[in-house]
Amino acid sequence: MAVRPLSSRAAVWGRHAVLVFFAVLSFYPILVMWFTALRPMNESMRDPFGLPSSLYLENLTTAWTRGRFGNYFLNSVIITAPSVIGVVVLSALAGYGIARFRFRGRMLIFYLILLGLTVPFQSVMIPLYYQLLAMGLLSTYLAVILPSIAFGLPFGVFLMQSFFEDLPQELHEAGRADGCGELRIFWSIMLPLAKPALSTLIVFQFMRTWNEFLMPLLYLQREELRPIPLGLMFFQGAYTRDIGLIAAGVTLATIPVIVVYLIFQRQFVRGLTAGAVK
Amino acid sequence: MARAPRSRLQARQRAGFWFVLPALVVYLVFFGLPFAATIWLSFTEWSGVGVPHFTGPANYIRLSQDQAMWAALGNNMIWVVIGTVTPIFIGIILAVMLWSNARGSMVYRTIYFLPVVLSPVVIGIIWSWIYNPLFGLLNTGLRTIGLGSWAVGWLGESETALYAVLVTAIWSYLGFCIVVLFAGLQKVDPELVAAARVDGANSQQRFRHVIVPQIRPVLTMVIVYTVIGGFNVFDVVWVMTQGGPNNATEVIATYTYEVAFRANNYGYGATLSMVMSVVALLAAWATMRMRRAEGGR
Repeated sequence: MAVRPLSSRAAVWGRHAVLVFFAVLSFYPILVMWFTALRPMNESMRDPFGLPSSLYLENLTTAWTRGRFGNYFLNSVIITAPSVIGVVVLSALAGYGIARFRFRGRMLIFYLILLGLTVPFQSVMIPLYYQLLAMGLLSTYLAVILPSIAFGLPFGVFLMQSFFEDLPQELHEAGRADGCGELRIFWSIMLPLAKPALSTLIVFQFMRTWNEFLMPLLYLQREELRPIPLGLMFFQGAYTRDIGLIAAGVTLATIPVIVVYLIFQRQFVRGLTAGAVK
Repeated sequence: MARAPRSRLQARQRAGFWFVLPALVVYLVFFGLPFAATIWLSFTEWSGVGVPHFTGPANYIRLSQDQAMWAALGNNMIWVVIGTVTPIFIGIILAVMLWSNARGSMVYRTIYFLPVVLSPVVIGIIWSWIYNPLFGLLNTGLRTIGLGSWAVGWLGESETALYAVLVTAIWSYLGFCIVVLFAGLQKVDPELVAAARVDGANSQQRFRHVIVPQIRPVLTMVIVYTVIGGFNVFDVVWVMTQGGPNNATEVIATYTYEVAFRANNYGYGATLSMVMSVVALLAAWATMRMRRAEGGR
């Protein structure tokens, strides 16, 4: 490489300085919580910027037992898994049906579902509460699972519809020529091709349900059903003054998500930006 | 002779309906029905027991005269403007930097995107502690560098609370803006940029006249996200301030929550929630028009 003039080298360093500054800004607030969780509270209060001096685990163990984070974690899994499966299955079916068949009312149904993209949860939360109560679902896992599926469908159907529409028509013909039924064509020919779109949808719905806050706040009014965000909020409310414990709670809540994010990074970025980049 | 295959064809097309039906049922029961009920409730007075009392447009008249609602909507407006301009300004600069020197770009993007995967509850708790007046990071930092007089109770004072929460929100989605804008830049033709350089365009001109027009579709989408997000924001505000102090951080979503679930005023609460829907619909409509005007997809 040719030697660059000094001014351009300075520009490169300047650029890296800016990039590093924002990297620190993005990560340091999270990191400092992890550090705080590993230090006795009085130490953190004296010097919040300090590093953990020894391996101090008391905050974490106390938060785990008193805060019942194991329980919250399990609740989050019980709520998120069926809601992701439900959205993926229903969206794939519906998106496929709208994209590949020409039946009456098809576009009306499609636009009706797309309307859900613009309506915030607040615009259904009041009647939905009474509806769930009447159905006997209030304060059960289903009170969050079913509405989460319904709210995931607009984006899911939109995503799957645009994917299936782009597939060549010949695939379908070939399947029919081989005498496959429609369900069989969908399952054995079309669905395997849709893997990229499906993984995008899985991540999108997973993050959305995992971090959901208002819905469980309203519809899960029994402590033992709380998912992580809600559990963490009540935990913080109960130990407002104990920053060590709160930081431990935040640590227990953030580590699993961040680990999953780092493993499936590409899918995460694709899933969470799918609506904006296309 | 020709009729038989056609009707078989139609029967085949009708099979599509059965693919759509399961999704349609779940969607109508858990979204369509309560949404229709909200529209109806917004014309009633109801405390949650007994039968809602139909009052016609009374709630909408009340809405137009509700100072608290307009103040909350004003806060949403501040949120939308600052919460859109700031992350897009910073985001474009960082995305272009990452784009023009690729080394380490992946690592930077991984780190910038981290806050995007966190729950708003976690984010609110982290930043509440950063803003803690006595031993939070911000005030401790200010005291250390001799700016102790700047240290205030960020979330506790009406003048600063809204901006303190807003900064938190921007922190949480700046990475989203950077990554999306970066993806948009991948479609920019480097030869056009080089050609502009040869023609004597300085870096600012190259940016404005060569790069920005090419990433406009992505830019529009980011703006839609931040605008709709700004009108609908609830979680992070609720966790950090619950709309206080003195309603300084009240936004339309927190106000709706209070009217409905604290004051048990479900009819008027439904009316307020319709404001959110109408605003979001308008934003979506405006976007579609903008995209069409661009000649984009």
